[in-house]
Amino acid sequence: MKTVYWTEWARGPNLPRSGKTVLLTARMYQMLPYIMQVTGLIASAKPFVSRSGFGAMVNLGNRIMGDKIIRLKSLGSKNIRSKSKKILLGITNALSTIGQRPAYLYEDEPYSGVLLYDLGLDEYIEEHIVKVYRLLKRHNVKKVIGVDPHTVFMLKEIYPRYIEDYDIEVKHYLEILSENDEALKKSCKKSLENEFVIHDSCYMTRELGIIEQARSISASLGITILEPGNTKLDTACCGGPIEYAFRDLTEKVSTTRIQELANISKNIIVECPICLINLSKYEKEMGIKVWDMGELLLEAF
Amino acid sequence: MGVDQGQAIRETLLKEIGKCRACRFCVDVCPAYQAAEWVENMSPYGRLQILKYLINGTLNKDDPLVYSLYTCLQCGRCNRVCQAKGQDLEVSNLVRLGKYLLSQGLVKGKKSEKV
Ligand code: SF4
Ligand code: SF4
Repeated sequence: MKTVYWTEWARGPNLPRSGKTVLLTARMYQMLPYIMQVTGLIASAKPFVSRSGFGAMVNLGNRIMGDKIIRLKSLGSKNIRSKSKKILLGITNALSTIGQRPAYLYEDEPYSGVLLYDLGLDEYIEEHIVKVYRLLKRHNVKKVIGVDPHTVFMLKEIYPRYIEDYDIEVKHYLEILSENDEALKKSCKKSLENEFVIHDSCYMTRELGIIEQARSISASLGITILEPGNTKLDTACCGGPIEYAFRDLTEKVSTTRIQELANISKNIIVECPICLINLSKYEKEMGIKVWDMGELLLEAF
Repeated sequence: MGVDQGQAIRETLLKEIGKCRACRFCVDVCPAYQAAEWVENMSPYGRLQILKYLINGTLNKDDPLVYSLYTCLQCGRCNRVCQAKGQDLEVSNLVRLGKYLLSQGLVKGKKSEKV
């Protein structure tokens, strides 16, 4: 088997290679160490502040298409790498406790193309979506379980705009787990009696309407959820989506948000890889801990 | 990308931007505007104005103001408070569509099609 960075985590759970339902990580958690490095590269080159920066933006889209942007070596990212593995393991463990054992596409697993969409590079996105859809069809996929809100948004809301008769059912794992709250509660091995403040993701709440699910799952794990001022449909952004280009602005957005959260609790729950990477930067400096829901699931099961 | 599609997108954008009532409720809630310390072109309302002036030719695509469009986080907070009536597209979608217009060279500027 070809070894690619995004399949490393899957050695443990040994998920089947084919099946009607697949777990689609879309490499989002696995990309975290690489995204950080790429961001540094771009910020130092400052292509976006020049007058001809626009061309650079389009080229960036091209490079993502070819995956070149994430083929770079990662730097000092062991922690993030092990964190992202734990998250994905936690999610698969929790799914298996409710009797769900999805397939995984391993080295064939595609990226959703969400950055291209955000940048308005619709011509590239169309090409990419068609490619991904054909790949899913080749694998006979009928249902996708996503682990991050951006991928779920793309596959659920955007892909059908480009594909006639789009017939793949798309769900976020939080939706599936929350439909099985009782079973989850029964098989919880370790109750995580603690208070956490929750940071909702913009896409998860305002685009997908997935709000109460994280709360009911947390309750099943014994967690007490505290709500910040800006929460649920009024949640505030972590700043992540523009980090590739506007680092200073991102930092201001994320500082504002992390302060709001840290004032309520030192333990913070997030449910999105982009929020995780942007908010966990402040762990040392502020003496806080940012947990992805997947890590908590790993602790509990 | 044909001229016709460019024209259609420009018309859609102008029509939708025309529904804005300039209430500015979207301005204060925008995280990018807050982070940019209250510079109005970094707000949703400001971005719509920039788009409008790009389309009618007052601004060209090489203008530094255009970068404000790319500072949008696509977070959708503006959509929650927007008071425009009868919109077909939400504010954040208009901003995204504006980026598409730019990436296709459908507004005035170097190497762009004439509007
Ligand atoms: S979607 Fe963009 S314009 Fe709207 S509030 Fe968020 S950052 Fe501001
Ligand atoms: S909230 Fe809507 S109507 Fe009001 S200024 Fe913003 S875009 Fe215009």
